[in-house]
Amino acid sequence: MTYEEKLARFTDKVNGGDKVETTDWMPDDYRNGVLKFIEMHANSEIMGALPERECLPAAPSLKRKMSLCAKIQDEVGHAQLLYRVAEDLGKSRDAMYYDLVTGKSKFHNVFHYPVKHWGDVAIIGWLIDGAALVTQAALLDSSYAPYTRVLKRICAEEQLHLRHGEDITLELASGTDAQREMFQEALGRWWLAIIHFFGPRSNVDKDLLLRWKVKTRTNEDLRQEFLDRYVPKVLELGFQFPTPVPFHDEATGHWLINEDDIDWGPLDAIKKNQGPETARRLSTRLEMYEGHRWVREAMAEPSIAAA
Amino acid sequence: MEVYEVFRRAGHKEPFEHCGAVIAPDSDMALLMAKECFLRRREGNHIWVARRSDIHSFEDESLLEIAADKSYRFAEAYRGVVDKREKARRRAQEIASS
Repeated sequence: MTYEEKLARFTDKVNGGDKVETTDWMPDDYRNGVLKFIEMHANSEIMGALPERECLPAAPSLKRKMSLCAKIQDEVGHAQLLYRVAEDLGKSRDAMYYDLVTGKSKFHNVFHYPVKHWGDVAIIGWLIDGAALVTQAALLDSSYAPYTRVLKRICAEEQLHLRHGEDITLELASGTDAQREMFQEALGRWWLAIIHFFGPRSNVDKDLLLRWKVKTRTNEDLRQEFLDRYVPKVLELGFQFPTPVPFHDEATGHWLINEDDIDWGPLDAIKKNQGPETARRLSTRLEMYEGHRWVREAMAEPSIAAA
Repeated sequence: MEVYEVFRRAGHKEPFEHCGAVIAPDSDMALLMAKECFLRRREGNHIWVARRSDIHSFEDESLLEIAADKSYRFAEAYRGVVDKREKARRRAQEIASS
């Protein structure tokens, strides 16, 4: 079979809704696109553990501290699952980790920002995990089957994280003025980054991942689902949004934002790994990478049976 | 380091099901990694790991397709039971009244 014939067959298969397995023939740009996409997802899970880790000392009780620890462990666990799936596409975990810590590969925009207090944990756990869940649930139907299988587990755990985040939010929202101000102040700092999280409008003709059905929905479609789901919940608790301020469109029933109000500057900087906390977080990862080298090496040795 | 496929049994009445893979130097470490990755929330009561290279499968999935029409192996082939029962009942009445 010629390359063109294989490609035509693969395209028909994906367009028909069939799934792709690791051992199937796939064009190089599909393999590379999926690999890069899953690698970035894995990077984001492992980098996502850092901002919350920085919040641990701010936990108001031992119970909150333990539940946040467990959540952070889940995020690292997600990275393990995702790196495993990515490895099967032809790049070693060591190479992926090296590219991450040296700033060659990317991770999600929201993990490039500083955290200031416990209100950040509420925002990350509820709104950012909520945004992540909207995008990840949409990927459950991705054309790359091994990815969808790990996403099933990841989404189930993210669902729990969402409840964890909402629980913290509701505690702050029903608390003292100072507690409410924590959430409000954090919302003010994070809102634009959350809008950025979904990315600029998708270019449906150019986006290879959409064409190959690795991604199933456009960025703007996912952002819309997030706004419709979460904006009323935040308003109901009596908090105010900064720019871009969402408004209710009576005609369509949707919660909209004026796209001209979105300043994409901070996202452009983050895409070049020049976010406010990028360098510091990457150097933390690099330090861990070096400091834990002996653990990786010890674990890579087959165990010796006790005499 | 080798890839180990992980299988998990959700309960005593369930079969072992494939749930993912880990990378490890030996089966002991693979089991430990599998437990941390796939059993953090009592998702099962037992776990297996097997070297990926020890798992055999058909290279060509099309070999798994059923070669000819074997619809009689499926429940859909036995539809229309209500009508068929009605027909049989009428026949029985016919015999009784003759």
